[in-house]
Amino acid sequence: MTDRPQLYVDSARVCVVTDLGRVAGPARGLAVNGALDQFAARAANALVGNAPTDPLIEATGFGITFRPSHDVLLSVTGAPAEPAVDGRAHPAWTPLSVRAGETVRVGISDAGLRAYVAVHGSFDVPRLMGSCAPDSMIGFGTQVASGTVLPLLRSHPPLVNRRFGATVFHFGIPRDVGRVCSVLDVVDGPDAAEFGPGLQRLYDSPYTVTPRINHVGMRVAGPVPRRSVTGEVLSRGVPIGAVEAPTGDELLVLMRGRGITAGYPVLAVLTSRALDHAAQLRPGQTIRFHRTTASAATAAYLERRRLLDRVALRARTAFAALV
Amino acid sequence: MTDTRAATTMAISLCGDAAVRVAVDGDDTDQVWTAVHRLAGWLNHGGIHPTVTAVPTYDAVLVEFDPYYTTGEEIASLIRSWDTAAPVGEGGAAGGVIDVPVLFGGEAGPDLEWVADVVGHPVPKIIDLVCAGEPLIRCLGGPAASAMMDGPDFGLPIPRLATPRLRVPPGAVSVAGRQTVIGPVAAPSGWRQIGRTPLDILRTDTDTDTVVPYRPGDRVRFLPIDETGYAELLGTPMRYRHDD
Repeated sequence: MTDRPQLYVDSARVCVVTDLGRVAGPARGLAVNGALDQFAARAANALVGNAPTDPLIEATGFGITFRPSHDVLLSVTGAPAEPAVDGRAHPAWTPLSVRAGETVRVGISDAGLRAYVAVHGSFDVPRLMGSCAPDSMIGFGTQVASGTVLPLLRSHPPLVNRRFGATVFHFGIPRDVGRVCSVLDVVDGPDAAEFGPGLQRLYDSPYTVTPRINHVGMRVAGPVPRRSVTGEVLSRGVPIGAVEAPTGDELLVLMRGRGITAGYPVLAVLTSRALDHAAQLRPGQTIRFHRTTASAATAAYLERRRLLDRVALRARTAFAALV
Repeated sequence: MTDTRAATTMAISLCGDAAVRVAVDGDDTDQVWTAVHRLAGWLNHGGIHPTVTAVPTYDAVLVEFDPYYTTGEEIASLIRSWDTAAPVGEGGAAGGVIDVPVLFGGEAGPDLEWVADVVGHPVPKIIDLVCAGEPLIRCLGGPAASAMMDGPDFGLPIPRLATPRLRVPPGAVSVAGRQTVIGPVAAPSGWRQIGRTPLDILRTDTDTDTVVPYRPGDRVRFLPIDETGYAELLGTPMRYRHDD
Protein backbone atom coordinates (compact mmCIF):
# COMPACT_ATOMS: atom_id res chain seq x y z
CA MET A 1 0.00 0.00 0.00
CA THR A 2 1.17 3.48 -0.71
CA ASP A 3 -0.02 6.88 0.35
CA ARG A 4 -0.08 7.91 -3.24
CA PRO A 5 -3.64 7.81 -4.63
CA GLN A 6 -4.14 5.20 -7.32
CA LEU A 7 -6.89 3.65 -9.37
CA TYR A 8 -6.89 -0.16 -9.40
CA VAL A 9 -8.45 -1.37 -12.63
CA ASP A 10 -10.29 -4.66 -12.03
CA SER A 11 -11.51 -5.10 -15.57
CA ALA A 12 -11.03 -3.23 -18.83
CA ARG A 13 -10.74 -4.21 -22.47
CA VAL A 14 -10.29 -1.54 -25.12
CA CYS A 15 -9.30 1.29 -22.86
CA VAL A 16 -6.58 3.97 -22.74
CA VAL A 17 -5.54 7.10 -20.90
CA THR A 18 -5.75 9.99 -23.35
CA ASP A 19 -6.35 13.74 -23.59
CA LEU A 20 -7.40 16.24 -26.24
CA GLY A 21 -4.49 15.19 -28.47
CA ARG A 22 -0.93 15.91 -29.50
CA VAL A 23 -1.54 19.31 -31.08
CA ALA A 24 2.19 19.78 -31.72
CA GLY A 25 2.25 16.45 -33.61
CA PRO A 26 0.98 17.28 -37.11
CA ALA A 27 3.58 19.99 -37.70
CA ARG A 28 6.22 17.31 -36.98
CA GLY A 29 4.61 14.58 -39.05
CA LEU A 30 2.73 12.79 -36.24
CA ALA A 31 -1.01 12.27 -35.88
CA VAL A 32 -2.84 14.45 -33.36
CA ASN A 33 -4.78 11.50 -31.84
CA GLY A 34 -6.58 12.12 -28.53
CA ALA A 35 -10.17 11.58 -27.38
CA LEU A 36 -12.44 10.87 -30.33
CA ASP A 37 -15.46 12.45 -28.61
CA GLN A 38 -13.80 15.74 -27.73
CA PHE A 39 -16.96 17.26 -26.26
CA ALA A 40 -17.44 14.35 -23.85
CA ALA A 41 -13.76 14.46 -22.88
CA ARG A 42 -13.84 18.22 -22.27
CA ALA A 43 -17.05 17.87 -20.30
CA ALA A 44 -15.65 15.08 -18.11
CA ASN A 45 -12.68 17.23 -17.10
CA ALA A 46 -14.80 20.37 -16.66
CA LEU A 47 -17.17 18.54 -14.29
CA VAL A 48 -14.35 17.69 -11.87
CA GLY A 49 -12.58 21.04 -12.06
CA ASN A 50 -9.69 19.84 -14.23
CA ALA A 51 -7.99 21.63 -17.10
CA PRO A 52 -9.41 20.69 -20.52
CA THR A 53 -6.11 19.07 -21.53
CA ASP A 54 -5.79 16.85 -18.43
CA PRO A 55 -5.42 13.08 -19.02
CA LEU A 56 -8.55 10.96 -18.64
CA ILE A 57 -9.76 7.43 -19.45
CA GLU A 58 -11.34 6.58 -22.81
CA ALA A 59 -13.14 3.21 -22.80
CA THR A 60 -14.24 1.94 -26.22
CA GLY A 61 -16.99 -0.62 -26.76
CA PHE A 62 -16.62 -2.33 -23.41
CA GLY A 63 -17.04 -1.11 -19.87
CA ILE A 64 -14.46 -0.63 -17.14
CA THR A 65 -14.46 -1.53 -13.44
CA PHE A 66 -12.05 0.11 -11.00
CA ARG A 67 -11.41 0.93 -7.32
CA PRO A 68 -9.69 4.06 -6.01
CA SER A 69 -7.19 3.71 -3.15
CA HIS A 70 -8.31 7.08 -1.75
CA ASP A 71 -11.48 9.18 -1.79
CA VAL A 72 -11.79 10.70 -5.24
CA LEU A 73 -14.09 12.93 -7.25
CA LEU A 74 -14.80 11.68 -10.74
CA SER A 75 -17.16 12.10 -13.66
CA VAL A 76 -18.38 9.79 -16.40
CA THR A 77 -19.42 11.14 -19.80
CA GLY A 78 -19.74 9.96 -23.38
CA ALA A 79 -21.76 6.92 -24.42
CA PRO A 80 -25.05 6.58 -22.52
CA ALA A 81 -24.00 4.82 -19.33
CA GLU A 82 -25.03 4.84 -15.71
CA PRO A 83 -21.97 4.51 -13.53
CA ALA A 84 -22.57 2.28 -10.52
CA VAL A 85 -20.72 2.58 -7.21
CA ASP A 86 -20.79 -0.67 -5.22
CA GLY A 87 -23.83 -1.60 -7.31
CA ARG A 88 -25.77 1.65 -6.77
CA ALA A 89 -26.52 3.53 -9.98
CA HIS A 90 -25.54 7.19 -10.30
CA PRO A 91 -26.19 9.64 -13.12
CA ALA A 92 -23.51 10.33 -15.71
CA TRP A 93 -22.44 13.86 -16.81
CA THR A 94 -22.21 15.06 -13.19
CA PRO A 95 -19.51 14.98 -10.49
CA LEU A 96 -19.48 11.81 -8.43
CA SER A 97 -17.70 11.27 -5.11
CA VAL A 98 -16.27 7.81 -4.59
CA ARG A 99 -14.81 6.55 -1.30
CA ALA A 100 -11.57 4.67 -1.02
CA GLY A 101 -12.08 1.01 -1.87
CA GLU A 102 -15.53 1.36 -3.45
CA THR A 103 -15.96 -0.40 -6.79
CA VAL A 104 -17.00 1.74 -9.75
CA ARG A 105 -18.49 0.03 -12.79
CA VAL A 106 -18.95 2.03 -15.99
CA GLY A 107 -20.90 0.14 -18.63
CA ILE A 108 -21.37 1.24 -22.21
CA SER A 109 -24.85 0.77 -23.61
CA ASP A 110 -25.61 -0.23 -27.19
CA ALA A 111 -26.56 3.38 -27.85
CA GLY A 112 -22.94 4.54 -27.96
CA LEU A 113 -19.34 3.40 -28.22
CA ARG A 114 -17.03 5.47 -26.04
CA ALA A 115 -17.16 6.52 -22.39
CA TYR A 116 -14.84 8.94 -20.60
CA VAL A 117 -13.81 8.92 -16.96
CA ALA A 118 -12.10 11.99 -15.51
CA VAL A 119 -10.78 12.11 -11.95
CA HIS A 120 -10.24 15.39 -10.09
CA GLY A 121 -6.49 16.06 -10.17
CA SER A 122 -6.07 13.68 -13.09
CA PHE A 123 -3.66 10.83 -13.84
CA ASP A 124 0.12 10.88 -13.63
CA VAL A 125 1.10 9.33 -16.96
CA PRO A 126 3.97 9.84 -19.45
CA ARG A 127 3.57 12.52 -22.10
CA LEU A 128 5.15 13.00 -25.47
CA MET A 129 5.32 16.46 -26.99
CA GLY A 130 3.02 17.65 -24.23
CA SER A 131 0.32 15.00 -24.67
CA CYS A 132 -0.38 11.56 -23.20
CA ALA A 133 -2.56 10.62 -26.22
CA PRO A 134 -1.70 7.09 -27.35
CA ASP A 135 -0.19 6.70 -30.82
CA SER A 136 -0.26 3.05 -31.85
CA MET A 137 1.83 3.82 -34.94
CA ILE A 138 4.84 5.00 -32.95
CA GLY A 139 4.16 2.76 -29.95
CA PHE A 140 3.40 5.38 -27.33
CA GLY A 141 0.66 5.61 -24.72
CA THR A 142 -0.87 4.25 -21.53
CA GLN A 143 -3.09 1.25 -22.20
CA VAL A 144 -5.55 0.28 -19.49
CA ALA A 145 -6.21 -3.43 -18.98
CA SER A 146 -7.45 -5.65 -16.16
CA GLY A 147 -4.86 -5.32 -13.40
CA THR A 148 -3.51 -1.93 -14.48
CA VAL A 149 -2.75 0.47 -11.62
CA LEU A 150 -3.09 4.12 -12.63
CA PRO A 151 -1.34 6.72 -10.46
CA LEU A 152 -3.43 9.74 -9.51
CA LEU A 153 -2.07 13.18 -8.77
CA ARG A 154 -4.57 14.01 -5.97
CA SER A 155 -7.32 12.59 -3.84
CA HIS A 156 -10.50 14.51 -3.01
CA PRO A 157 -12.61 14.56 0.15
CA PRO A 158 -16.14 13.17 -0.27
CA LEU A 159 -18.75 15.59 -1.56
CA VAL A 160 -21.80 13.37 -1.74
CA ASN A 161 -24.63 13.62 0.72
CA ARG A 162 -24.76 9.94 1.67
CA ARG A 163 -28.15 10.29 3.35
CA PHE A 164 -29.77 11.16 0.03
CA GLY A 165 -27.37 8.96 -1.90
CA ALA A 166 -27.14 11.50 -4.67
CA THR A 167 -24.67 13.94 -6.08
CA VAL A 168 -25.03 17.40 -4.64
CA PHE A 169 -24.23 19.31 -7.80
CA HIS A 170 -25.98 20.22 -10.97
CA PHE A 171 -23.82 22.17 -13.35
CA GLY A 172 -26.32 22.78 -16.10
CA ILE A 173 -25.54 20.03 -18.57
CA PRO A 174 -28.72 19.32 -20.56
CA ARG A 175 -30.41 15.97 -20.00
CA ASP A 176 -30.13 14.86 -23.63
CA VAL A 177 -26.42 15.66 -23.90
CA GLY A 178 -25.27 12.08 -24.42
CA ARG A 179 -27.83 11.26 -27.11
CA VAL A 180 -26.16 9.58 -30.07
CA CYS A 181 -26.88 11.28 -33.38
CA SER A 182 -26.85 9.30 -36.64
CA VAL A 183 -26.96 12.33 -38.95
CA LEU A 184 -23.45 13.63 -39.55
CA ASP A 185 -23.06 17.26 -40.62
CA VAL A 186 -20.45 17.73 -43.32
CA VAL A 187 -19.12 20.63 -45.36
CA ASP A 188 -18.25 20.14 -49.02
CA GLY A 189 -14.57 19.16 -49.18
CA PRO A 190 -11.74 20.97 -50.97
CA ASP A 191 -11.93 18.43 -53.84
CA ALA A 192 -15.75 18.27 -54.01
CA ALA A 193 -15.76 19.75 -57.53
CA GLU A 194 -13.85 16.71 -58.84
CA PHE A 195 -16.93 14.58 -58.18
CA GLY A 196 -19.30 16.70 -60.29
CA PRO A 197 -23.03 15.99 -59.89
CA GLY A 198 -22.14 12.54 -58.44
CA LEU A 199 -21.37 14.28 -55.14
CA GLN A 200 -25.11 14.56 -54.52
CA ARG A 201 -25.24 10.79 -53.89
CA LEU A 202 -23.33 11.41 -50.66
CA TYR A 203 -26.26 13.46 -49.38
CA ASP A 204 -29.08 11.36 -50.84
CA SER A 205 -28.03 7.90 -49.67
CA PRO A 206 -28.00 6.08 -46.35
CA TYR A 207 -24.71 4.48 -45.31
CA THR A 208 -23.99 1.63 -42.91
CA VAL A 209 -21.19 1.77 -40.37
CA THR A 210 -18.93 -1.26 -40.91
CA PRO A 211 -16.97 -3.05 -38.16
CA ARG A 212 -13.83 -1.41 -39.53
CA ILE A 213 -13.70 1.41 -37.00
CA ASN A 214 -10.68 2.59 -35.07
CA HIS A 215 -8.81 5.73 -34.07
CA VAL A 216 -7.53 6.16 -37.62
CA GLY A 217 -10.78 5.95 -39.49
CA MET A 218 -14.27 4.63 -39.93
CA ARG A 219 -15.42 2.79 -43.05
CA VAL A 220 -19.05 3.21 -44.07
CA ALA A 221 -20.74 1.11 -46.77
CA GLY A 222 -23.03 2.58 -49.40
CA PRO A 223 -22.96 4.35 -52.76
CA VAL A 224 -19.50 5.79 -53.41
CA PRO A 225 -19.37 8.95 -55.54
CA ARG A 226 -16.71 8.70 -58.26
CA ARG A 227 -14.35 11.39 -59.45
CA SER A 228 -15.22 12.85 -62.82
CA VAL A 229 -11.55 13.70 -63.41
CA THR A 230 -8.55 11.42 -63.45
CA GLY A 231 -4.92 11.91 -62.57
CA GLU A 232 -2.76 11.41 -59.51
CA VAL A 233 -2.67 14.08 -56.84
CA LEU A 234 0.48 14.89 -54.88
CA SER A 235 0.45 13.85 -51.23
CA ARG A 236 -1.19 16.59 -49.20
CA GLY A 237 -2.17 17.21 -45.62
CA VAL A 238 -5.58 15.70 -45.05
CA PRO A 239 -8.03 17.12 -42.48
CA ILE A 240 -9.49 15.13 -39.60
CA GLY A 241 -13.05 14.24 -40.59
CA ALA A 242 -12.17 13.97 -44.28
CA VAL A 243 -14.61 11.78 -46.20
CA GLU A 244 -12.54 10.02 -48.84
CA ALA A 245 -13.55 7.72 -51.67
CA PRO A 246 -10.95 4.99 -52.15
CA THR A 247 -11.72 2.33 -54.78
CA GLY A 248 -14.36 -0.13 -53.59
CA ASP A 249 -17.84 0.26 -52.18
CA GLU A 250 -16.99 1.95 -48.91
CA LEU A 251 -16.28 5.53 -47.90
CA LEU A 252 -13.46 6.24 -45.48
CA VAL A 253 -14.02 8.85 -42.76
CA LEU A 254 -10.71 9.88 -41.22
CA MET A 255 -10.54 10.18 -37.46
CA ARG A 256 -7.92 11.72 -35.16
CA GLY A 257 -5.30 8.98 -35.58
CA ARG A 258 -5.06 9.56 -39.31
CA GLY A 259 -1.69 9.85 -40.98
CA ILE A 260 -1.28 13.50 -41.77
CA THR A 261 -0.91 13.11 -45.53
CA ALA A 262 -2.76 11.13 -48.18
CA GLY A 263 -3.37 11.09 -51.88
CA TYR A 264 -7.13 10.56 -52.08
CA PRO A 265 -9.40 13.47 -52.99
CA VAL A 266 -11.54 14.75 -50.12
CA LEU A 267 -15.20 15.00 -51.08
CA ALA A 268 -16.52 16.29 -47.76
CA VAL A 269 -15.33 17.02 -44.22
CA LEU A 270 -17.21 16.26 -41.01
CA THR A 271 -17.83 19.26 -38.79
CA SER A 272 -16.22 19.29 -35.34
CA ARG A 273 -19.60 18.48 -33.78
CA ALA A 274 -20.17 15.64 -36.24
CA LEU A 275 -16.79 14.16 -35.29
CA ASP A 276 -18.01 13.85 -31.70
CA HIS A 277 -21.15 12.09 -32.97
CA ALA A 278 -19.11 9.81 -35.26
CA ALA A 279 -17.01 8.75 -32.24
CA GLN A 280 -20.13 7.16 -30.74
CA LEU A 281 -21.32 5.20 -33.79
CA ARG A 282 -21.41 1.41 -33.61
CA PRO A 283 -21.04 -1.10 -36.47
CA GLY A 284 -24.33 -1.78 -38.22
CA GLN A 285 -25.82 1.65 -37.57
CA THR A 286 -27.37 3.50 -40.47
CA ILE A 287 -26.15 7.06 -40.90
CA ARG A 288 -26.72 9.96 -43.25
CA PHE A 289 -24.47 12.82 -44.28
CA HIS A 290 -26.13 16.21 -44.02
CA ARG A 291 -24.66 19.12 -45.97
CA THR A 292 -24.05 22.26 -43.97
CA THR A 293 -21.80 25.32 -44.16
CA ALA A 294 -18.62 26.09 -42.28
CA SER A 295 -20.24 29.12 -40.63
CA ALA A 296 -23.24 27.07 -39.42
CA ALA A 297 -20.79 24.43 -38.15
CA THR A 298 -18.79 27.05 -36.27
CA ALA A 299 -21.95 28.44 -34.67
CA ALA A 300 -22.97 24.94 -33.50
CA TYR A 301 -19.48 24.29 -32.16
CA LEU A 302 -19.30 27.59 -30.28
CA GLU A 303 -22.66 26.93 -28.65
CA ARG A 304 -21.29 23.66 -27.21
CA ARG A 305 -17.95 25.11 -26.15
CA ARG A 306 -19.69 27.99 -24.36
CA LEU A 307 -21.86 25.47 -22.54
CA LEU A 308 -18.63 23.79 -21.40
CA ASP A 309 -17.18 27.15 -20.33
CA ARG A 310 -20.21 27.68 -18.08
CA VAL A 311 -19.95 24.15 -16.65
CA ALA A 312 -16.22 24.56 -15.98
CA LEU A 313 -16.76 27.91 -14.26
CA ARG A 314 -19.57 26.56 -12.06
CA ALA A 315 -17.53 23.49 -11.13
CA ARG A 316 -14.43 25.49 -10.24
CA THR A 317 -16.48 27.95 -8.21
CA ALA A 318 -18.33 25.19 -6.36
CA PHE A 319 -15.20 23.19 -5.54
CA ALA A 320 -13.29 26.33 -4.49
CA ALA A 321 -16.09 27.20 -2.07
CA LEU A 322 -15.78 23.79 -0.42
CA VAL A 323 -12.06 23.94 0.29
CA MET B 1 16.39 36.04 -51.66
CA THR B 2 13.89 34.89 -54.22
CA ASP B 3 10.71 36.88 -54.36
CA THR B 4 8.06 34.17 -54.22
CA ARG B 5 5.16 36.61 -54.62
CA ALA B 6 5.58 37.06 -58.32
CA ALA B 7 6.18 33.41 -59.06
CA THR B 8 3.47 31.66 -57.07
CA THR B 9 -0.26 31.94 -56.48
CA MET B 10 -2.32 30.61 -53.60
CA ALA B 11 -5.72 28.94 -53.69
CA ILE B 12 -7.38 28.60 -50.29
CA SER B 13 -10.22 26.13 -49.69
CA LEU B 14 -12.16 25.39 -46.53
CA CYS B 15 -11.81 21.89 -45.05
CA GLY B 16 -14.78 21.75 -42.68
CA ASP B 17 -14.90 24.16 -39.72
CA ALA B 18 -11.42 23.41 -38.32
CA ALA B 19 -9.01 23.46 -41.28
CA VAL B 20 -8.20 25.18 -44.55
CA ARG B 21 -6.02 23.98 -47.39
CA VAL B 22 -3.67 26.43 -49.05
CA ALA B 23 -2.58 25.13 -52.45
CA VAL B 24 0.35 26.97 -54.01
CA ASP B 25 0.79 27.02 -57.76
CA GLY B 26 3.73 28.18 -59.84
CA ASP B 27 6.08 27.22 -62.66
CA ASP B 28 9.09 26.51 -60.47
CA THR B 29 8.56 23.57 -58.08
CA ASP B 30 11.37 24.78 -55.81
CA GLN B 31 9.73 28.18 -55.48
CA VAL B 32 6.38 26.55 -54.76
CA TRP B 33 7.96 24.32 -52.11
CA THR B 34 9.81 27.27 -50.55
CA ALA B 35 6.61 29.31 -50.37
CA VAL B 36 4.72 26.37 -48.80
CA HIS B 37 7.35 25.84 -46.12
CA ARG B 38 7.80 29.53 -45.36
CA LEU B 39 4.05 29.86 -44.88
CA ALA B 40 3.97 26.78 -42.63
CA GLY B 41 6.92 28.09 -40.62
CA TRP B 42 5.14 31.38 -40.04
CA LEU B 43 1.90 29.64 -39.01
CA ASN B 44 3.61 27.13 -36.72
CA HIS B 45 5.32 29.92 -34.83
CA GLY B 46 2.20 31.79 -33.89
CA GLY B 47 1.87 33.92 -37.02
CA ILE B 48 -1.92 33.96 -36.72
CA HIS B 49 -2.70 32.33 -33.38
CA PRO B 50 -0.83 29.88 -31.17
CA THR B 51 -3.52 27.20 -31.60
CA VAL B 52 -3.03 27.15 -35.36
CA THR B 53 -0.84 24.36 -36.74
CA ALA B 54 0.30 23.80 -40.29
CA VAL B 55 1.19 20.63 -42.19
CA PRO B 56 3.33 21.53 -45.21
CA THR B 57 3.82 19.10 -48.09
CA TYR B 58 4.99 19.73 -51.68
CA ASP B 59 2.53 22.26 -53.02
CA ALA B 60 0.04 22.68 -50.18
CA VAL B 61 -0.30 23.58 -46.51
CA LEU B 62 -3.07 22.11 -44.38
CA VAL B 63 -3.83 24.67 -41.68
CA GLU B 64 -5.66 23.28 -38.65
CA PHE B 65 -7.20 25.43 -35.96
CA ASP B 66 -9.58 25.38 -33.02
CA PRO B 67 -12.86 26.94 -34.22
CA TYR B 68 -13.31 28.33 -30.71
CA TYR B 69 -10.67 30.96 -31.51
CA THR B 70 -10.91 31.65 -35.22
CA THR B 71 -12.60 30.67 -38.48
CA GLY B 72 -11.41 29.44 -41.83
CA GLU B 73 -12.52 32.71 -43.43
CA GLU B 74 -10.43 34.71 -40.96
CA ILE B 75 -7.40 32.51 -41.52
CA ALA B 76 -7.80 32.69 -45.29
CA SER B 77 -7.91 36.46 -45.14
CA LEU B 78 -4.81 36.67 -42.91
CA ILE B 79 -2.90 34.28 -45.16
CA ARG B 80 -3.80 36.34 -48.24
CA SER B 81 -2.30 39.41 -46.62
CA TRP B 82 0.80 37.52 -45.40
CA ASP B 83 4.03 39.07 -46.58
CA THR B 84 5.81 36.16 -48.26
CA ALA B 85 9.16 37.93 -47.92
CA ALA B 86 8.84 38.51 -44.17
CA PRO B 87 11.17 36.61 -41.84
CA VAL B 88 9.66 33.42 -40.39
CA GLY B 89 12.11 32.90 -37.55
CA GLU B 90 13.05 29.36 -36.66
CA GLY B 91 10.05 28.04 -38.53
CA GLY B 92 11.82 28.27 -41.86
CA ALA B 93 13.40 25.31 -43.59
CA ALA B 94 15.76 23.50 -41.23
CA GLY B 95 18.97 22.96 -43.19
CA GLY B 96 20.81 20.32 -41.13
CA VAL B 97 22.44 17.20 -42.57
CA ILE B 98 21.69 13.66 -41.36
CA ASP B 99 23.99 10.74 -42.20
CA VAL B 100 21.91 7.62 -42.78
CA PRO B 101 23.85 4.34 -42.99
CA VAL B 102 21.94 1.81 -45.12
CA LEU B 103 22.27 -1.93 -45.63
CA PHE B 104 21.20 -2.42 -49.26
CA GLY B 105 19.62 -5.51 -50.80
CA GLY B 106 18.92 -8.94 -49.33
CA GLU B 107 16.30 -9.06 -46.59
CA ALA B 108 16.99 -5.39 -45.86
CA GLY B 109 16.14 -4.40 -49.43
CA PRO B 110 14.06 -7.10 -51.12
CA ASP B 111 13.28 -4.90 -54.16
CA LEU B 112 16.84 -3.69 -54.92
CA GLU B 113 17.46 -6.15 -57.76
CA TRP B 114 13.98 -5.58 -59.18
CA VAL B 115 14.67 -1.82 -59.28
CA ALA B 116 18.04 -2.48 -60.96
CA ASP B 117 16.27 -4.58 -63.62
CA VAL B 118 13.61 -1.94 -64.27
CA VAL B 119 16.16 0.86 -64.50
CA GLY B 120 18.62 -1.20 -66.53
CA HIS B 121 21.65 -0.59 -64.29
CA PRO B 122 23.70 -3.06 -62.25
CA VAL B 123 22.95 -3.13 -58.51
CA PRO B 124 26.17 -1.27 -57.47
CA LYS B 125 25.24 1.58 -59.81
CA ILE B 126 21.81 1.83 -58.18
CA ILE B 127 23.46 2.05 -54.74
CA ASP B 128 25.85 4.73 -56.10
CA LEU B 129 22.92 6.76 -57.40
CA VAL B 130 21.09 6.56 -54.06
CA CYS B 131 24.22 7.57 -52.14
CA ALA B 132 25.22 10.41 -54.50
CA GLY B 133 24.38 13.91 -53.39
CA GLU B 134 22.45 15.04 -50.37
CA PRO B 135 18.73 14.98 -51.17
CA LEU B 136 16.46 17.48 -49.44
CA ILE B 137 13.71 16.25 -47.12
CA ARG B 138 10.75 17.81 -48.90
CA CYS B 139 8.09 16.92 -46.36
CA LEU B 140 7.04 14.48 -43.66
CA GLY B 141 4.42 12.03 -44.82
CA GLY B 142 2.27 9.31 -43.38
CA PRO B 143 2.69 7.11 -41.55
CA ALA B 144 4.46 8.68 -38.61
CA ALA B 145 6.77 11.34 -40.02
CA SER B 146 8.24 9.40 -42.94
CA ALA B 147 11.01 11.51 -44.54
CA MET B 148 10.12 12.15 -48.21
CA MET B 149 12.95 13.11 -50.60
CA ASP B 150 13.31 13.85 -54.31
CA GLY B 151 15.33 11.46 -56.40
CA PRO B 152 17.60 9.72 -57.06
CA ASP B 153 17.50 10.29 -60.78
CA PHE B 154 17.12 6.77 -62.17
CA GLY B 155 16.05 8.19 -65.55
CA LEU B 156 12.51 6.86 -65.22
CA PRO B 157 9.85 6.63 -62.50
CA ILE B 158 9.77 3.48 -60.35
CA PRO B 159 6.36 1.76 -60.34
CA ARG B 160 4.81 0.85 -57.00
CA LEU B 161 3.99 -2.70 -55.96
CA ALA B 162 0.65 -3.89 -57.37
CA THR B 163 -0.17 -5.31 -53.95
CA PRO B 164 1.30 -3.33 -51.05
CA ARG B 165 3.28 -5.23 -48.43
CA LEU B 166 1.37 -5.53 -45.17
CA ARG B 167 4.44 -4.69 -43.17
CA VAL B 168 7.75 -3.09 -43.98
CA PRO B 169 10.09 -2.83 -41.00
CA PRO B 170 11.14 0.38 -39.24
CA GLY B 171 14.08 2.08 -40.97
CA ALA B 172 13.11 0.88 -44.45
CA VAL B 173 14.52 2.98 -47.31
CA SER B 174 12.17 2.75 -50.29
CA VAL B 175 11.68 4.31 -53.70
CA ALA B 176 8.62 4.98 -55.86
CA GLY B 177 8.00 7.37 -58.71
CA ARG B 178 10.93 9.78 -58.52
CA GLN B 179 11.10 9.82 -54.74
CA THR B 180 12.86 8.15 -51.84
CA VAL B 181 11.38 7.69 -48.36
CA ILE B 182 12.71 6.63 -44.95
CA GLY B 183 9.94 5.05 -42.88
CA PRO B 184 10.51 5.32 -39.12
CA VAL B 185 7.89 2.73 -38.09
CA ALA B 186 6.62 -0.67 -39.22
CA ALA B 187 3.76 -0.07 -41.63
CA PRO B 188 2.10 -1.30 -44.82
CA SER B 189 3.69 0.10 -47.98
CA GLY B 190 3.50 -0.19 -51.73
CA TRP B 191 6.91 1.42 -52.26
CA ARG B 192 9.96 -0.58 -53.41
CA GLN B 193 12.14 -1.35 -50.40
CA ILE B 194 15.81 -1.23 -51.43
CA GLY B 195 17.52 -1.04 -48.02
CA ARG B 196 17.22 -0.47 -44.32
CA THR B 197 18.96 1.76 -41.81
CA PRO B 198 19.88 0.34 -38.38
CA LEU B 199 19.39 3.76 -36.72
CA ASP B 200 16.59 4.37 -34.22
CA ILE B 201 14.60 7.17 -35.80
CA LEU B 202 11.80 8.23 -33.46
CA ARG B 203 12.52 8.91 -29.78
CA THR B 204 9.42 8.20 -27.71
CA ASP B 205 11.23 7.53 -24.43
CA THR B 206 11.62 11.15 -23.45
CA ASP B 207 9.30 14.09 -23.64
CA THR B 208 11.51 16.25 -25.78
CA ASP B 209 11.13 18.28 -28.92
CA THR B 210 13.37 15.82 -30.77
CA VAL B 211 10.87 12.97 -31.11
CA VAL B 212 11.26 13.30 -34.88
CA PRO B 213 14.98 13.94 -35.56
CA TYR B 214 14.57 15.78 -38.89
CA ARG B 215 12.52 18.54 -40.47
CA PRO B 216 11.61 19.45 -44.01
CA GLY B 217 14.59 21.37 -45.40
CA ASP B 218 17.18 19.05 -43.86
CA ARG B 219 19.42 17.03 -46.16
CA VAL B 220 20.17 13.31 -46.03
CA ARG B 221 23.41 11.54 -46.91
CA PHE B 222 22.94 7.80 -47.50
CA LEU B 223 26.05 5.71 -46.70
CA PRO B 224 26.27 2.05 -47.71
CA ILE B 225 27.16 -0.38 -44.91
CA ASP B 226 27.56 -4.16 -44.70
CA GLU B 227 25.91 -6.57 -42.27
CA THR B 228 28.66 -6.09 -39.67
CA GLY B 229 28.23 -2.32 -39.84
CA TYR B 230 24.47 -2.79 -39.55
CA ALA B 231 24.82 -4.90 -36.41
CA GLU B 232 27.25 -2.39 -34.86
CA LEU B 233 24.96 0.58 -35.49
CA LEU B 234 21.68 -1.11 -34.60
CA GLY B 235 19.72 1.07 -32.18
CA THR B 236 21.96 4.14 -32.48
CA PRO B 237 19.79 7.28 -32.38
CA MET B 238 19.47 9.20 -35.65
CA ARG B 239 20.76 12.75 -35.29
CA TYR B 240 22.32 15.64 -37.16
CA ARG B 241 25.89 15.16 -38.41
CA HIS B 242 27.13 18.12 -36.39
CA ASP B 243 25.55 16.94 -33.17
CA ASP B 244 28.07 14.10 -32.87
